[in-house]
Order: sequence, then structure tokens, then C-alpha cells
Amino acid sequence: MSHRLAHTEPTDLEAFAQSARDFLDASADRLEDETEVEWGAGEDRISYFGDETPEDATRLVDAARAWQKTRYAAGFGWITGPEKFGGRGLSAIHDLIYDSIEAEYDVPDTGVLSLIGLGMIGPTIVAHGSDKAKAEYLPGMYAGDLIACQLFSEPNAGSDLANVSTRAVRDGNGWRVNGQKVWTSVAQHAQVGLALCRTNPDVPKHRGITALLIDMNASGVEVRPLRQMSGGAEFNEVFLTDVWVYDSYRLGEVDGGWSVALTTLMNERASVGSEGAGPAARAISTPFLAALMGENGCLDDSHARRRLAELQADQLATSYLNRQALDHLISGGQPGPEASVSKLLYSQNITRAAHFAAEVVGPRIVADTGAWGAFSWNELLLSTPALRILGGTEDIMKNILGERVLGLPKEPGGDAATPYRELRTSRSGS
Amino acid sequence: MTGTTVPEREDLRRSVRDLLDRFGDDVARQDAIGSESGHSTRLWSALAEVGALSLTVPEAAGGAGYGAVEQRVVLEELGRTLAPTPFLGTVVQAATALVASGDPAAHPHLERIASGATLAALAVTEGDGRWRTAHFSTRAELDGGTWRLTGAKDLVVDGAVADLLVVAAATESGPSLFLVTSSEAVERKELRTLDLTRRIASVAFDGTPAELLGSPGDAPAVLDRVLDATMVALAAEQVGAARACLDASVAYAKDRVQFGRQIGSFQAVKHRCADMFAKVQLASAAAQEAAHSADREPDRAPADVAAAVAHSVCSEAAMFTATENIHVHGGIGFTWEHPAHLYFRRAKSSQMLLGGPAANAERLLARLGV
Repeated sequence: MSHRLAHTEPTDLEAFAQSARDFLDASADRLEDETEVEWGAGEDRISYFGDETPEDATRLVDAARAWQKTRYAAGFGWITGPEKFGGRGLSAIHDLIYDSIEAEYDVPDTGVLSLIGLGMIGPTIVAHGSDKAKAEYLPGMYAGDLIACQLFSEPNAGSDLANVSTRAVRDGNGWRVNGQKVWTSVAQHAQVGLALCRTNPDVPKHRGITALLIDMNASGVEVRPLRQMSGGAEFNEVFLTDVWVYDSYRLGEVDGGWSVALTTLMNERASVGSEGAGPAARAISTPFLAALMGENGCLDDSHARRRLAELQADQLATSYLNRQALDHLISGGQPGPEASVSKLLYSQNITRAAHFAAEVVGPRIVADTGAWGAFSWNELLLSTPALRILGGTEDIMKNILGERVLGLPKEPGGDAATPYRELRTSRSGS
Repeated sequence: MTGTTVPEREDLRRSVRDLLDRFGDDVARQDAIGSESGHSTRLWSALAEVGALSLTVPEAAGGAGYGAVEQRVVLEELGRTLAPTPFLGTVVQAATALVASGDPAAHPHLERIASGATLAALAVTEGDGRWRTAHFSTRAELDGGTWRLTGAKDLVVDGAVADLLVVAAATESGPSLFLVTSSEAVERKELRTLDLTRRIASVAFDGTPAELLGSPGDAPAVLDRVLDATMVALAAEQVGAARACLDASVAYAKDRVQFGRQIGSFQAVKHRCADMFAKVQLASAAAQEAAHSADREPDRAPADVAAAVAHSVCSEAAMFTATENIHVHGGIGFTWEHPAHLYFRRAKSSQMLLGGPAANAERLLARLGV
């Protein structure tokens, strides 16, 4: 990534940013900051994760695909991709800039396609795939036809991802795969998944993993929805039973899957500048929370006012941080640690806002009396624990900030030299 | 209004840092704390020589005509080292009032502030310690063509050393500002302070001769500008101080060995440092936004929202990092000799000087229209 960044001229970035704005101005409406909230108008829903009916889910996937086709046709659908596979051949910075600008517009949520597939799996296939795998999957993924998922996490491999136990064994000109994956986003919609599999248990854990592209429609692949504590089923468990994969769908070397996984994870960026546009953005904005306080008769309560002010100060400062990070990239700077900090702050801000709102709502948070903007806070409230876990737990993020940014020493010892077979495992695996 | 590039501001930072290395180290700071004036006159002259005192003074009054963006560089460095200087009282509060008054008679004073020849202070707060822009019990009356001030001011930052006092007082035409340059009928008293690196005085007037600054009734508008300038300046200082606390903690966590390992390898310490880092990043973003915002629209919104946000976020970051820095250092951090307590003192003092978190919460909400 860095060799491409070094040659990026700021003026190119400014011109690129302008062309993105021109395209978006012509294709979508800008999101406007709301200054007055009409209380009781619109759907009474304050959610972070989706909880759609199957029909709604299909409609949202279709809308995502349609928008991906539109922006792909305009040259913004695969900004970092190699030109020979239909990409634009530009840098990751261009991609970040586009994402941040698009977040200012009211466009269909393409998360189902882009968060995992286009953002993480696509670049991994580009870097490590065979010509056959590239030709077969990349054009379809970026045209919005194919959805990809990431078969990484397992019951015993969460923060310690290299501890995967899903086995792949040689079988003729391919591999036979058995195991269980968990917390798999978009698996229910996906046509292909990138799986990390244990191929050599007799070497240390990082050195015995192989990455395979799995056809999600193959026999032996079973996707079961995993219902999360907030009620919906955004994630899945994926059971792999004697799934057969041709060796040409292997990414990287045999037992070299850890470096493939690192490529995937390096592309997992907290999208700088777009946090403010999260699904709960409206609900935690000043006008909405002030309206909530007014409805609940505590707009003059000094304790509630102080909490509102402190929340808004932190939220506004977080938005300044995100915008400055974007300006820094547009003027030719390198990405800094802002994204990690931003993720920590974002989760803290939403969590505080949800608990604050629950307190303002009062006893009506405990049961649905039918009042608008009251019980509906539950969905956001019940989603907040996830924000500290997904995409790297808060604890791991702080290790990364401490070690890579501040240069603090790692924990001594560890299991990096112990063969996988001899590692201690959790007593229960979930 | 902002007329400098990032590299130019980094040059400025280097020259200020160089001065502080020479005249603002731990020993110099200790000497300044114990001195009569409360600051090193050598450091003050050196700051004047590199132009650090004239950045926000208009060109018409002999200054550089820059803004908060440039001044932020100097304030971050002063906050980082906690070198005691009369910068806040003189260059931020008094000079902002002089500039905002629009009174040409203020120009000679600004010239002398810019050159380091005059120290100045702003006398607003009275017995209850609250920042206010009206309802002063200090009164000014015309006595045969001469204004005379009577009343008492508390919490006057850099008030004891000031050659020039800008005083808010009630008149028949409303709250107005006055300049006091004589020592006739002025009683100043240096106060014991929480923050050992910033001097605060009480000043009493008893028929003191004064000159009107601007027009009668102007004080509220001018003092609103001073309030924002003070919040923006404190924010920059707080970012410098917070970063110094973070750096000190990280350095100590790498150096200190207990249980046979560097304490920074323990997650409990590492995460504490990561939390400090996150606070510093957020505060820095808020201070930067507030400075740019102030320069973009010096006559109000949206600078006022960003200034109140910065005052909240940067006060919190400075307090948090100062507290955690003492904790990372353990017992040594609680000693008088170690500078950690100076940062704690500065953090609490700056957080409370303009009324504290509760007052600033209402200030921010008012600016957000709630």
C-alpha cells in the first residue's frame, strides 16, 4: 500500500475529491443537518444493527447492488482495483477520501457488499489469488453481483485469530474442509467466503494456516443465523462439513495463510470521517436529544442538561477529529492513528448517549406503552455492548495504540513458538 | 486572516521550543515560581524577540496580524513546559480586549505589549469569582473630566505585575472598560494559588484615575470576545500540557521495571496510556478546530460552538492526563520535587477559571440553541 501512497500528489487528490463530489451531487441528495426535530414523525426505530424481515433484507441488498453498479459505472466502485480487472488503479487514500465524501450523501447502505467483500476480501484476492480465482470472482464482486464473506472467527479464535481450528486436509487436487466459523456477517447473502483453515497443527499457530475461497453454495456449507442480544440476526454461524475446494481457490502459500489474513485485516479500516453518519447518528444528535428531553419534561433539569452538553462536546470534537483526518489525507498526508482513536470514541459516545436517553425516557424504557421515541431506544441500548467488541475489541485496540503508536513493550512470553497442537485451549468453546 | 503555512508554524514552534529549552527548564521554572514577579524576565524578552508576543496584535499596532492558529503554537509549548509567564493575562486577555475595543487609543499599549515592554491584565471577576460581562459592583464615575474607579476585583490573572490594567466597571451608560496605568489609589495583592505556575491577584480601586476604552456600554461585546479567546488559548495550553503528561507516562512506563519487567508491558498500564493518548488526540482536534474557527469568523459563530467544545474537551483531557500521569509514576509522582503535581494544579485551575464544567455546559448548550 505505502509504495502507491508515496507518489500521490495533493493536487491529484483535490481533483479526485472534486470529481467525486460532482458525481455524488448529480446522483444523490446531500444529507442535511437537522436543526428542528418534528417529534413523533416517521418510523419509531432507533437501531444500530438491522432487524429486517426477509423481504426487507432482500430489498436492501437489491438497493445496495444497484448503487454499487451506479458508482462502478462512474469509476468510484473499485477505486483501488487493478485496471485489468476493471478497477481504477488508484491509491487507498483515494478510496478513503471517496468513502468520507460519500458519507455526506443520502445513498443506499452498501455495507452488505462493501464492508467485507469489496473492502477486505477483494484486495486479498488481488494480492494472493490465482489468475483463475481473480478472473472468476473480482469482476462480479465489484459489479455488485457477488457478495463475499469472511470465514475467520471461530468459537476459540476471536481476538486470538491465529488459533483457528477448522481443518483442511489434502484430498487429490484440492482440500477437504471441516469446522465451524462464527460471527460471520453477510454469510446469508454471500456467494463466496474466505476461510482460514488449519493445515499443519505441528508447527506454531501462525505457521500452519491456509486460506481458501469457499463456494457458499457448495455441498457441506450450512449457514445458520446467529441471533444477537439486541434481538436481530445480523451475524451467522457457518458449519463446514466435508466441503471440497479445488487447490486453485487457495490464496497464498500452503501454511502461509496468516499473511493472507493480515492483508485482509489491514484493509479493515474504520472509515475515517464517516462515523457521524452511522445508523444512530440522528438519534444522538443535539436536536433529537433536546427534543427527547423536552418531551420528557427535563429540558430544564440541570443534571440532564450537563450530561447532554458533555455528550455533545465529545461528539462534536470526534467529528472535528474525523474531518481533520480527511483534510490531512486530501492534502497528501499519511493515515495516522486517528481511525483507531475514532473507533474507541465512537463506541463510547453512542454508549453514553443510549444510556442517557434511557434515563431521560424513564420507566417507559422498561415496557412498550406505545409512546413514540420511548421504548424504541431499547434496540440501540442493547446494541452498545457490541460496539466495544466487533472489528477488534476495545482491549486489543488499546494494545495496538500502546504498542504500535506509543512504543510500549509487548507482554512477555506468549505462545508464538509453541506448536499449535500443544497450546492450551478454553474449556468451553463459545 | 490566517497567513502562515504549516512549515512556517513548525518553524515558530522550533524557535519557541528552543527558547524554552534554554530559559524554561525545570530549574528555571522553580526559580520563576519562587521569584517576586513569578516569571523569568529573560524568557519574556526572548519570547518578544522571536515575535511570540505580537502574533495576534494587528499590523496597525505593530503586530504580525495573525490569529489564534499561530498563537496556538506558542501556547502549546508554554503548556507543555508550564514555564510561568504572564502570557494569558497580557497577550490573551488584555490584548484581546484592547483589540476588540476598536479604540485607536489602544494602539500604543498594544505596541508595547508586542515588544514585551508592557505587562497587562484584565480585571473582570469580583467577589463571587464568576466570569461576567455586566452587573459589576465596581463603578466608574466622571469627576471633572476624569473617570475614577471604585471597587474590588478578584482573580485577576497576572494582576500584580501588570503595568496596564483593563478594568470592567459599571457606568450610567452601562458596563464599560477602562484603562488604568497609574499606581495611584490601586491596591494589589498577590493571592495564594492552586496553580503555582500562574500568578493571580486581587486589585482594589479607590477613586483611581482611569481612561475609558472604546465607548461607554461596550464591555459586554468586548468581554464576549475575550471569553472565547481565553477558552481557545486555554485549550491550546491544555493540549500541550496533556501531551507532556502522556509523554512523561510513556517514557516512565518504558523505563520503570517491577516484577522483572517494564511496567508498560502490563496491560493495566498500557491501556491507561492508550486512554491518555485518545484524550490527547480528541483534545488536539478540538483545540485546532476552535483556533481555525476563531480566525475564520472572528466576530462570532460558529467559532463560539467550537470554543466551548474545546474548553470542555481540553479541560477534561488535561485533568485526566495529569491525574493518570501521577498514577503511572506511583509514589514519585506524588512528591513535591516531581513536576507531575504542577500539571495537576494547572489542569484543575484552568478547568475552573471560567466557571468550570457546569458553567461551560450551559455555555455550550446556549450556543447550540438548547
